[in-house]
This record gives sequence, C-alpha cells and structure tokens, in this order.
Amino acid sequence: MSNAKPPSPPPLPPVSGPGSPRDVPPLPGQFPIDPATLPKPIRDELTAPDPVAIDTSAKELKDGANHCPKCGATDIRHKHGSDLLVCLFCRNEWQGARVEEEFGLGSGLDELSGTIIASGAKDIAADSAHLMSFKCSGCGAEVTVNTENQMTARCHWCRHVFGVNEQVANGAVPDAVLPFHIKKDDAIARIRQFVDKRQMFALKAFKEQFTPENVSAVYLPYMIVDGRASADVAGQGEIETARYTRGSGNDKKTYYDADVYAVQRHVDFTVDDLPLESSSERGNHDTSVNTNNIINTILPFDTKNAVKWNASYLHGVSSEKRDRDVAHLKPRLEDQLLSIARHQVVESVSRYDRGVRWEQESLDVHGTRWVSMYLPVWLYSYHQPGKNGGMLHYIAVNGRTGETMGSVPVQQWKLILAALTVGTILESIALWILAN
Amino acid sequence: MSDDGSLALLLLGPAGATGLYWMLYRHYRNTDKSHAFEHETAVEAKPVTGSEHKVDEVKGTRESSIRGNNVGAYRQRVQRRQDDS
Ligand SMILES: [Zn+2]
Ligand SMILES: [Zn+2]
Repeated sequence: MSNAKPPSPPPLPPVSGPGSPRDVPPLPGQFPIDPATLPKPIRDELTAPDPVAIDTSAKELKDGANHCPKCGATDIRHKHGSDLLVCLFCRNEWQGARVEEEFGLGSGLDELSGTIIASGAKDIAADSAHLMSFKCSGCGAEVTVNTENQMTARCHWCRHVFGVNEQVANGAVPDAVLPFHIKKDDAIARIRQFVDKRQMFALKAFKEQFTPENVSAVYLPYMIVDGRASADVAGQGEIETARYTRGSGNDKKTYYDADVYAVQRHVDFTVDDLPLESSSERGNHDTSVNTNNIINTILPFDTKNAVKWNASYLHGVSSEKRDRDVAHLKPRLEDQLLSIARHQVVESVSRYDRGVRWEQESLDVHGTRWVSMYLPVWLYSYHQPGKNGGMLHYIAVNGRTGETMGSVPVQQWKLILAALTVGTILESIALWILAN
Repeated sequence: MSDDGSLALLLLGPAGATGLYWMLYRHYRNTDKSHAFEHETAVEAKPVTGSEHKVDEVKGTRESSIRGNNVGAYRQRVQRRQDDS
C-alpha cells in the first residue's frame, strides 16, 4: 500500500507485548475516514485506481471480519495441511471454531423435530444473511460483504461502488468450511497413480495431454443434513421348503417349493451428517452426460471437523456456488433416507432365503437439520471432444482423506478389439469342445 | 451334450467379449460408482419391528429366488405410500 495519506491502524487489543501500534498494517482497501467527507481533489485521488498491481490476497478479506485475534491484522491465510489460520503479520496461529461445538450439531439427533436450517443454509438471497457475495458490475469480481455493518462497498479491484441490490442471486455464503488437508503434491501423486493403472485403453489424446500438475483446489457446496425418520416397507418374502430334480441325464432340471409370506417392517432411525450436493450441476449424476458421480464417490468427509465460515480458508482456492435450497433437496434426502431404511431392515428378513420383493414403502421425516458447507476437493479435469459438447472427465481427490476416484476416457476401438479378441479365443475353445 | 449345454458353450464367446468390455470400461470410467451413503453415514436405528404371515405356497417353480427380488437393491424405489402419521 502506498497511499499518500498513511492510514491509521485498525483497533488494537490491549498492548501486551513488543511492537508498537504503528507496526500494524492498515486494512486493505480501507480508509480511516470516509472519502466522501473529504475535499474533492483528495477524494478523487483516494478513489482513483491504484497504479500498482493490486494485492490479490485481499479479495477474500473484503468482508472486514477476519482480524488476527492477537494483532488485529487482516492478512490471514490458511496454514496448509492443518485446520489452522495463520496471521502473516505476527505469525500467530489459531484454530477456527468448529461448527460442531459452536452450533451444537453433534447432539440432539433423537429430538430433531421440524426443519432446522442454519443461517448459511437458508434459501438463497435470504435478507437475513449478513455476509453476502456481490458481483462487481464494474469488473465482474466476486466480493464478500458483511451487510450487518455496511450496505454498500467498493470493489477492491476496480473501486466500483455498489450496493446490496447487486447481490449475486446464487451467492449465499455457507455456514462452515472444511479446510484442505491433502496438499497439492499429494493430490498430484494420487492422480498420477490412478491414471498409471489405466494406461492400456486410455484415449491417446488424454495420455498425451495428461498433466496432473494442473489439478486445482476447489471448495464445492454441500448441505450436511442430520435427520430423524421412520420408515415402513411391505412386500412378500419366500422361504424354500423343498428342492428336487425331475428328469434324468441331460434333461435333469431343478424345481423348488416355497412358502410365501406377506412381510412388513418398520424402523426408526437417525442419520448424522449426510452430505448432499447443493449445486444442481454437481448433484446431477447422470453418467451418460457427465462424470459428477466421480466427485460424489469420494464422499464422505470428516464434516465433524468443519470450522465456522471464514473467508481466509478460501485463499488461493476457487469455490463453486450453491444454487439449491433446502426445499429442492428434500426429495433427494427422502430418497436416501428410504435407501438407508431398506439397508437397515435387510438383516431382519434374512430367513427369507429365496429373497424379498418389497412392493411398497413409506417414510415419515420427523425432523431435519441443515448446514451449508464448503468441502475441499482436488479436481483434475479433461475435456473429451465429441457430440453434444463432448464429455468432461474428472479425477477427484478428497481434500481430507485423499480418497481418489476418476473417469479416464477410453480408446473405444482398442477396447472393442481386445474384447473381440478374447471373445474369439473363448468361442474357439467352445467350438473345439463341441467338436470333440 | 444337451442342447442347453451346447447353447451355453456357444454363448461363451459373445458373453466373454461383452463381459470383458464392460469390466474394462468400468475400470476406466467408473460409471457405476457413487458414495455408499447406506454404509458410510452414521446411522443409529432402533430395533426393527414388523409382522409376517403366510399367504401362499409355491409348488415346483424353476426359479431359484422370488420374482422381483429387491431385498439388496436399496436404491431401487418401489411404490411410495403417503406416510401414515
Ligand atoms: Zn497477527
Ligand atoms: Zn470491480
């Protein structure tokens, strides 16, 4: 910062150590006095674009909420490989508050009733959210603003002044963020290993262009849901009572007798931290048109360790926005709760050795709790050209556990040739056996 | 050798080719993969309750399991009744 007027330091905690208040850097993009109250020439100078390169590190800090608890500075980053934040000015390190304790998310599952929605999981564009994302109409940059104490802000990039009415429709800020633990080198190694195991039939162009160093860190939006529900299933089950053969020699055939039962089951259960994609694009797992199921497969995350939203964790990491509200996601939640219930009752019908045909099911959701969260994913993508825009292939690494899954485009002719070759050999063996 | 046996042998080639194709395709593309939330989510369930009564008998079927067996197909939805509460 090289402003003509040196800005005064931000509010300080009581002085308790070495260093003077003058050592504290100013808040980026902030002036001690409202420029609008200053004479025009000074105002013009202050509000003119910075001639020097703008410090990109300040973008996420524009909300003015991230101060080092020790020195008040705002140049705060995520310490990679940990959940800690570090102050670049005084090197103070601290742990963000875990939402689990802060919001009491780990408890009370048995008493969940109604739909409880954390503030960051409220319907998008809810007026009650204090931190809002804005799209600068001057340059298109995204700026997060704390609307609790300011309804207008100036873009740190182009200095355009804008107001709340320019809020990005899908720009809700989440409740919590789960910081990256897996570092880039680790992610690259895992992606390389995944692809090394899939060389023979991989698309030639993919192999030639494979550069796992281009992997990018991205926070993807999820709703983390707790729920309490009851489910009922009804259908028929069969128990074998006899098994016998009729005919002889080559015409010998097996027959079965069975008792048929009408079966009904009921189960009451709670689920803890079920993750649902809260972006409509990411939630679409149609494998014929996209490979988002790859990203879904690297779930779950240790969401219990998520910390309260703090934009400093997003430094240098891109993020995708949520565009689904609780109401949109309820059908998918109910579908998953029914699947969980079916899994829960399977043991109770093991005596039906000929299986069970469930014909009806019902679900009663007593209570749910929704928290909006950014989860860390390393994404390597490759676009395979083709009809309808081709296919975007992903190799995804869970930013916490390192679980890796991917989609590697195949060289169809090679794969078909290999299949036909093996098929021909098998058929030759079959014909040889028949002939002898 | 019976006709059944011969037919099965003749199908060995096409079946092997198709099977290998899909096995390799899935190994590369993983289109069948997704998060196993049924196993991997923390679920606490009260003991399962229910009822059953014999309604019929099957005699001399050649099918080795109940028709439409979906006991393990947790994600295959069946007719949804509106909840009774
Ligand atoms: Zn500090
Ligand atoms: Zn701007």
